[in-house]
Amino acid sequence: MRQIQSSRPRVLFRASLILLMGLFFFAYAVLSFPTSAQAAPVMQDEKPADDFCLACHQEEGLDFKLGKDVIAATINPTQFGNSVHAGEEVGCTDCHADISDYPHPKVKSKNARDFSFSLFVVCKDCHEDQFLKAQDSVHQKAIDEGNLNAAICTDCHNPHTQGRLTGQTSGELTPSARIHVPETCAQCHSGIYDAYKFSVHGNALIEEGNMDVPTCIDCHGVHNIQSPTTVSFRNTTPYLCAECHTDASIMDKYGISTNVLDSYVADFHGTTVKLFEEEFPGQPTNKPVCTDCHGVHNISKVSNPQTGVALKDNLLQKCQRCHPDATANFSAAWMSHYDPSPEHYPIVYAVNLFYKFFIPAVLGGMIFFVLTDIYRRIVNRIKGVKHA
Amino acid sequence: MSTKNQTQTYERFPVWRRIEHFTMLLSFSTLGLTGLPQKYPGSTMGVAVLNFLGGIENLRNIHHIAAIIMMFGTAWHILVMGYSVFVMHDKMSMLPSLQDAKDGLQALFYNIGFAKEYPKMGRYTFEEKMEYWAFVWGAGVMGATGFLMWNPVTATQYLPGELVPAAKAAHGGEAVLAVLAIIIWHMYGVHIKRFNKAMFTGQQTEAEMLHEHPLELAEIKAGTANRRPDAATIRKRQMIYFPIAAFLTLGMLAGIFGFINAEETALTTIEPLTESQIYVPQTPNP
Repeated sequence: MRQIQSSRPRVLFRASLILLMGLFFFAYAVLSFPTSAQAAPVMQDEKPADDFCLACHQEEGLDFKLGKDVIAATINPTQFGNSVHAGEEVGCTDCHADISDYPHPKVKSKNARDFSFSLFVVCKDCHEDQFLKAQDSVHQKAIDEGNLNAAICTDCHNPHTQGRLTGQTSGELTPSARIHVPETCAQCHSGIYDAYKFSVHGNALIEEGNMDVPTCIDCHGVHNIQSPTTVSFRNTTPYLCAECHTDASIMDKYGISTNVLDSYVADFHGTTVKLFEEEFPGQPTNKPVCTDCHGVHNISKVSNPQTGVALKDNLLQKCQRCHPDATANFSAAWMSHYDPSPEHYPIVYAVNLFYKFFIPAVLGGMIFFVLTDIYRRIVNRIKGVKHA
Repeated sequence: MSTKNQTQTYERFPVWRRIEHFTMLLSFSTLGLTGLPQKYPGSTMGVAVLNFLGGIENLRNIHHIAAIIMMFGTAWHILVMGYSVFVMHDKMSMLPSLQDAKDGLQALFYNIGFAKEYPKMGRYTFEEKMEYWAFVWGAGVMGATGFLMWNPVTATQYLPGELVPAAKAAHGGEAVLAVLAIIIWHMYGVHIKRFNKAMFTGQQTEAEMLHEHPLELAEIKAGTANRRPDAATIRKRQMIYFPIAAFLTLGMLAGIFGFINAEETALTTIEPLTESQIYVPQTPNP
């Protein structure tokens, strides 16, 4: 009994020692080899390093099924390492915040798109400005209307591979990023991209790396992209094009006139559109804007033999869109952005010249006569002479 | 000045001439007012007028309606002038003559002190004739250039396209000239110098006649002014003139109708450019 009594604390002591050692070992094991599920509660405040995730995720063919969709969960460590996120020390679990160990919590999303939608909101944590702008975009509007194909952050910016887009000091889009903008939009808008890449703008960007020509975002904006089919977008088109086309520092290189906006606004069509734009921006007008004659994404050089509007027949076709009965002479009624001069539109030049002298001559004569009459009346009154 | 001079009045403009003037006054002012925002689209005044009249399309409609009224006024004027000349055998007192140039020069010399007397003039002074013929010239220019702009598709079937912007330039230049000429010449001549109410009352006193149209007054007194032919003669001439006038009326109405309806210049709605589908993914949904 005694023996038993005496051995009891010893057993307890041994047991507690083993337990304690076990605990230490367990803690050590958890810290060094976090492979067991029981470790999770201990890890709540700790984030596994990217290397830890990549240990598994760099494996090729790491696919998992989500509904009918197969999601490739393989991450190329080199590509990720070159990404702006890795560079800025944004790690896997900064975005995948619900994951801290393996096995991962079950993905509740029904399909791949659903999965993207559940994850992209996390972008807001760091990119609030861009995220909120995108919330005002035509893409978000489409999503709200139930079109889940519309782009969210991650459709344009793959967070695992996205490189730096803007200069670190300048904050401006880098030339290399600029060149790839249309390809990004082409993922969903390939039809428009096909038109753009053969246009005078697209061809110069893609073939020559020309930095003067507009990419998609120069006309449509970046995150807060608005619908280009609205009346107000159409009515402001001339000013959009004019941002570059009235800038001599760009246009002089190519010998393109910067008089295009002024000459457009001075003409019947442009005057109307200007008045609509200023006074009634939301009201449609049937008068043409730049894109109605020059094209939208497929803008060509005006000298292009097939489509260039500097060629009379090509221009007439454009006229006939709105003036179906127009005949050959009609297109010359548009002064092709020229200011009338002795070389271009000499009749208009002559008429302007005539009135430039005729108006002051006639009015000057009238004013002169009226002044002499006033003078005579004053003189007669002073002299007390009755006026004739 | 005797009281007789103040009370004795002479009819200067019968009522239908006054209506004619009023029609032209209204249409001219409307054309000028609605033309301003079209000639100077960015100006403060232009924008104010534009907003007041409900936008550019509405403004153009009003401009066109005023032009139609002026066309009718012109047609009416041609018909009554024909009646006056061919039936009544009135003196063609509005025709300019060398005497008008002399009168104008003498008036100028008088004003600057080189002539002792102000010229004595008849039914229409050189100032009035100048304004009338300026209006005729202006109406011709504005009508022709207006037609080109109203019906550019029809016009360019026969004329070079360049004439359309040339017409626009001339229309604007002539408009500025016309409006300012009215403000300077007409305002001064009949409102500021002396408020001449003859175009509204139709009457002028003997004093006013003596002052402004002494030769006409002398003719009236001498009985050599327009004398009404006897009824039989009028009837005889009317039998000839009325058919011609009817023909002329039909022609002018057809002309006005053609002016207004020659063409549907442009489609009122243009198809939006649908160059391609918007959503065309390169790869299946990722």
